[in-house]
Amino acid sequence: MIEFLETIRDFTETGGQVLLVIGALIFVMWLMILERAMYVFVTHKQYKAAIIAKWQARDERASWNAEQVRQAMISRVSLKLGAGIPIIQSLVALCPLLGLMGTVTGMIEVFDVMAISGSGNARSMASGVSKATIPTMAGMVGALSGVFASSWLSRTTKSERAKLEDALMMERHR
Amino acid sequence: MKLFIKNIALVSVLSLMTTMAVAQDDKALDLDSLLKQLEQGQFAQNKQNASREKEFAEKRSEQDSMLRDAKQTRNAALNLSEKLETQFEENEFKLADLNEAMNKRLGSLKELFGVLQQVSGDTKSKFQNSIISAQIPGRAEFLDDLAQSMGSTSKLASIEEIERVWFEMQREMTESGKVTKFTTDVIEAGGNKVSKEVLRVGPFALTANGKYLDYNGTTGSVAELIRQPAGRYGDSAAALQASNGDLVEFGLDPTGGSILKLLVQAPSLKERVEQGGTVGYIILAVGAVGLLIALWRFIVLGIEGAKVNRQLKSTTFKSSNALGRVMKARDDYPQADTEALELHLTEAILGEVPKLGRFLQIIKVMSVVAPLMGLLGTVSGMINTFQAITLFGTGDPKLMAGGISTALVTTVLGLVVAIPMTLLYAMLNTRSKNIVYILQEQAAGVIAERAEAQNSSKA
Repeated sequence: MIEFLETIRDFTETGGQVLLVIGALIFVMWLMILERAMYVFVTHKQYKAAIIAKWQARDERASWNAEQVRQAMISRVSLKLGAGIPIIQSLVALCPLLGLMGTVTGMIEVFDVMAISGSGNARSMASGVSKATIPTMAGMVGALSGVFASSWLSRTTKSERAKLEDALMMERHR
Repeated sequence: MKLFIKNIALVSVLSLMTTMAVAQDDKALDLDSLLKQLEQGQFAQNKQNASREKEFAEKRSEQDSMLRDAKQTRNAALNLSEKLETQFEENEFKLADLNEAMNKRLGSLKELFGVLQQVSGDTKSKFQNSIISAQIPGRAEFLDDLAQSMGSTSKLASIEEIERVWFEMQREMTESGKVTKFTTDVIEAGGNKVSKEVLRVGPFALTANGKYLDYNGTTGSVAELIRQPAGRYGDSAAALQASNGDLVEFGLDPTGGSILKLLVQAPSLKERVEQGGTVGYIILAVGAVGLLIALWRFIVLGIEGAKVNRQLKSTTFKSSNALGRVMKARDDYPQADTEALELHLTEAILGEVPKLGRFLQIIKVMSVVAPLMGLLGTVSGMINTFQAITLFGTGDPKLMAGGISTALVTTVLGLVVAIPMTLLYAMLNTRSKNIVYILQEQAAGVIAERAEAQNSSKA
């Protein structure tokens, strides 16, 4: 376990501090994604069943009032379902941006080394180059892992809303 | 007026002429007397010359004897010089013989002394840079004196001196395998000289109180490094100093301090920001303004969202929140049929939406503008770099590298501002959108529920 932590520490040290920020970002992002997935699979199912039961319990489902109440119900469900998804999407978009920031800070270090020791020594520049490339890679990995999850989430909210709209049928002609 | 000037000129000319006539008269008198004097003088000189000739004739014999003496002295000196020259040559031969004899007798020893001189010179420069010299000062001086005296004079090294060179080298070797503590004067980062217990790890590192030290060989002083490596390395040094012979992990600089010295040259965060220049400061100012706006909107939207949520649950319409104001439309137009009511609701909602989305676009614009400003800083930094190239050429990478790192800092600052702005915009936009959705999709529903509840209670 300690060895594993030390490996992580060495990795973050070769990648620079930006890597820590990227790590925290990815962690938060996946925490939010998992929370959403839990909601979709557990809480949302119960809530949806309760809403449908409430709609079926109404004595009339054809008036203007009923239409508005149905709208409000659907809106509440989809609001709860979609909460946090825009933030997840923006976190996904931020990952490559942070990677770019790591690239630039790493390049600064490379040029600092050049300013101090001249361009002759390629080995002294290696730490800067690794600080430039590792965060880029990490940002890409984070963004790629998040893109699928976030697109799945937004697709699910849309389809769930459509399913709910179908389930809460209006009675046009009595 | 003119007449007056003429008169003055006339008078002055006349007076000049009279004085000249008088002077000529004196000269005539003098010339006569001079002739007389000359006649008398020649007579006296003739008499003097005659007496002088007589005197010379008398002294001639004396001069001859003096000449003879001088010639004799010269001959004697010539003889002596010849004799000395031959003796010098003889001595030269003798010296060559003796030298040859000495070289024969020294034999392999001569090579040994050459090696000794070289080794003591090399060891001296090694000792000067070795941090062990901080513990044992004065070793380099002895070796320096020995090397110099052996190089300049024919004096040979004594057995004691040769043994001391050996001893010092052996001591360096032995000491470089030890982790020891000793007390010495340390110059702290503030400039104070304090006597401290210093920990030495072989020939690699000097630390005191968890701080890494630098040994300066030319002045022989020990100084705290102005910038220390990452905290856990300092902790490992402190742990090593506190331990009693246990195994302790320690952060070691295997180059013997040159990596740690480079650390001092790396700029701090503040210096980095300063490298960004004017553009960098403008970007940071934009970021600060954006943060303040975002904070303000967070508070406003948070309060509004809480009020709307409370309104959703309560039965009375309050005009203090957006949902309450929208639902007032029902009470304002109690006679309106469903279509007219929907129109009134839409109208009320359209009045609320801009208030909720206020200033959010500015935050979005900032998140876009900040990297653009970073790009601007990059380009202006590159212009400076190319100016340096036109002035000094590409020979010195250091000149260019400074400008390039300046250019990149602004890019970083642009990203540093843009990233939180993007995130904040996303969060604020979600909040305001959520409230707008509640207004658009739930206001009518709440009114309908309310009406049904009233109907059922009446019935």
